[in-house]
Amino acid sequence: MAQWVTIDPITRIEGHLRIDVEVDGGRVRNAWSSGQMFRGIEKILIGRDPRDAWLFTQRFCGVCTTVHAIASVRAVENALNLAIPLNAQYIRNLILCAHAIHDHIVHFYHLSALDFVDVVSALKADPAKAASIAEGLSNWPGNNRAAFAAVKEKLQGFVDAGQLGIFSNGYWGHPAMKLAPEVNLIAVSHYLEALEYQRRINQVVAVLGSKTPNIQNLAVGGVANAINLDNMATLNMQKLYQVKSLLDEVKAFIEQVYLVDVAVVAASYPEWLSYGKGVTNYMAVPDLPLDGAGTQFDLPGGVIWGGDLTGVKPITKFGDEYFRDGVTENVTHAWYAGTDTKHPFEGETNPAYSDFDAKGKYSWIKAPRFQGKPMQVGPLADVLVGYALKHAPTVKWVSKFVEMASGIARTRLGLDVMHSTLGRHAARAIRCAIISDLSIRHWELLVGNISKGDVTIWNKPEFPSGEQQGFGFHEAPRGALSHWIVIRDGKIKNYQAVVPSTWNAGPRDENGEVGPYEASLVGNPVAKADAPLEVLRTVHSFDPCIACAIHTQDVDGTSIATVKAL
Amino acid sequence: MDTVIRVIGLGNVLVGDDAFGPWVIHALESLWTFPPGVSLEDLGTPGLDLLPYLTDTATVILADTVRADGSAGELRRYDKAQILANPLQPRVSPHDPGLKDALLSLELEERGPREVILVGAIPGPARYDVGLSPAVRAAVEPAARLVVAELERLGARPQPRERAVLGTPWWDLEV
Repeated sequence: MAQWVTIDPITRIEGHLRIDVEVDGGRVRNAWSSGQMFRGIEKILIGRDPRDAWLFTQRFCGVCTTVHAIASVRAVENALNLAIPLNAQYIRNLILCAHAIHDHIVHFYHLSALDFVDVVSALKADPAKAASIAEGLSNWPGNNRAAFAAVKEKLQGFVDAGQLGIFSNGYWGHPAMKLAPEVNLIAVSHYLEALEYQRRINQVVAVLGSKTPNIQNLAVGGVANAINLDNMATLNMQKLYQVKSLLDEVKAFIEQVYLVDVAVVAASYPEWLSYGKGVTNYMAVPDLPLDGAGTQFDLPGGVIWGGDLTGVKPITKFGDEYFRDGVTENVTHAWYAGTDTKHPFEGETNPAYSDFDAKGKYSWIKAPRFQGKPMQVGPLADVLVGYALKHAPTVKWVSKFVEMASGIARTRLGLDVMHSTLGRHAARAIRCAIISDLSIRHWELLVGNISKGDVTIWNKPEFPSGEQQGFGFHEAPRGALSHWIVIRDGKIKNYQAVVPSTWNAGPRDENGEVGPYEASLVGNPVAKADAPLEVLRTVHSFDPCIACAIHTQDVDGTSIATVKAL
Repeated sequence: MDTVIRVIGLGNVLVGDDAFGPWVIHALESLWTFPPGVSLEDLGTPGLDLLPYLTDTATVILADTVRADGSAGELRRYDKAQILANPLQPRVSPHDPGLKDALLSLELEERGPREVILVGAIPGPARYDVGLSPAVRAAVEPAARLVVAELERLGARPQPRERAVLGTPWWDLEV
């Protein structure tokens, strides 16, 4: 008999992701993804000065502040047809790279590794054996017997003191956990090291953006980082070298630790290289512009239909017509009035809430579509599009990763394994290595440009009377983000944000076609309906960011999330 | 001098009463000056991005909304033991982890704050627009005074600014 399982974080506010699955014979037969937050936040922008929009949009989401700031200034600049100075472009690019690296490291180690790593099992590990395994995989200095023994001791102390709360959101002892105790110990050790490296890469954002979260250095038309190499108060050589050494240190961690750990997990859970495929239409937008107008990029964008890499169609520039004309959002199954399909320039936000109705309306997220089809966005789309377009850094890191994972698994893995739950983790680690390479390239471009005597950082925006419309995109850590703005007489007339997690987490559309989360869950095994670890594995592989809103401490209560199996 | 006491406001300024934490920071900055070693930050809704701000810091004072029994605008004070008392639950999105996860990670790393104080207000219903409800707005200055009292207890006495006025923060200005 089929069982209905609901995973629903219960909080005071409706701000989270809810997943419902129908389980039959130990497998997911059908799935529903429901965002529990109203999207009317964009309405706050109407009537405001477009130059202020980025300050507000970066408050949409506390975790993705930088990306909403960038997409917003790009949207206004696109509406005004305004190019920005090269220095401004490179400084923005460095911030974007650092933010993405930070996000990817935190996602793997601190938000999703516990789906595959059994922390308690690490207490049974032999540190010497762990060291010999780890040393065989990487030259990382932290991989040694003394370090692993110290971590084991620390963990034991934590358990003895009853403080395992940190990991109590993991499902240790679950039948779907497979790593050897030594591998679990290595993972816990790297979890701790990752805390330090995510702090270091965050410093890059703080140095260049003045603050993180919520950078302060943007302006429509450029950046507000005054450049004077000899002045302590401005962006100078000392700060630039500080940035460079942070980028170098984190690059070593990504290549010698993060990529290796993901390869070990991929090799140890081969079945998760086949589960979780879902929608194989992929879309990535180009990013890391190399000129002021955004016509050349260091990260390519494009669209792949039905997993066919040979037919990749590129997205080439800011203002790209193919992208602009293809995006719509449908509200048939979302809690908004009607069943319309609208382009973001005409987008409306008229709530019509009813109860959760699996056959009717069941989500606050609209269903974004490209040329009428659901698209998967995120690092996997980014990596597949780059690979299809023969982007050299992408080809290099995909090949290295596949070779490493094949070596560990002692079997030849092909590129087809990327279309899966663990393929998304692998793609995120690969993308992190690519971006780490490119961050250093953009540091060199910035320093090279300043060395030529160019210290320009801002072009003044002019707002003509009448109406202009524009859109800005950014290939954010979770995928293609786009902001759409209509300006009338210098004020915002309409504003819509089509965010990556809505592409992936959106509901069914007017044709009943499911979104990427929903499609990826069908066929997943579920060993224990009351502990649906496998469902979380697939959902987490997308790095969901849905609760773009609120922060309330729940000190007295015990329920952050509940799992209900009916 | 390194920062030894961090005062952090949490919450989303675009979502009604959730702006309470940032409002408290705004009030503190407007009405007092602070001795060296005390920093004030409005960090929005940072999830695990809280980590760097809690690392190697002796004391952290947070202002936020709290879920508790009572009426909107009532204030509550919690300490570290109370914050960490209840276990974490399976998480779905990167927003779910927050203060507890960050504190527990730092405990394991042995770089966490010795003392954590949370000054919280019970919010009214969530509302997707700027502006505090009257009850929660009325709790801003009392909460700021509670923070000031905590700082005095810790030996870091803030000085009232002369002729200070609590103005409207940027996110609340009329369009």
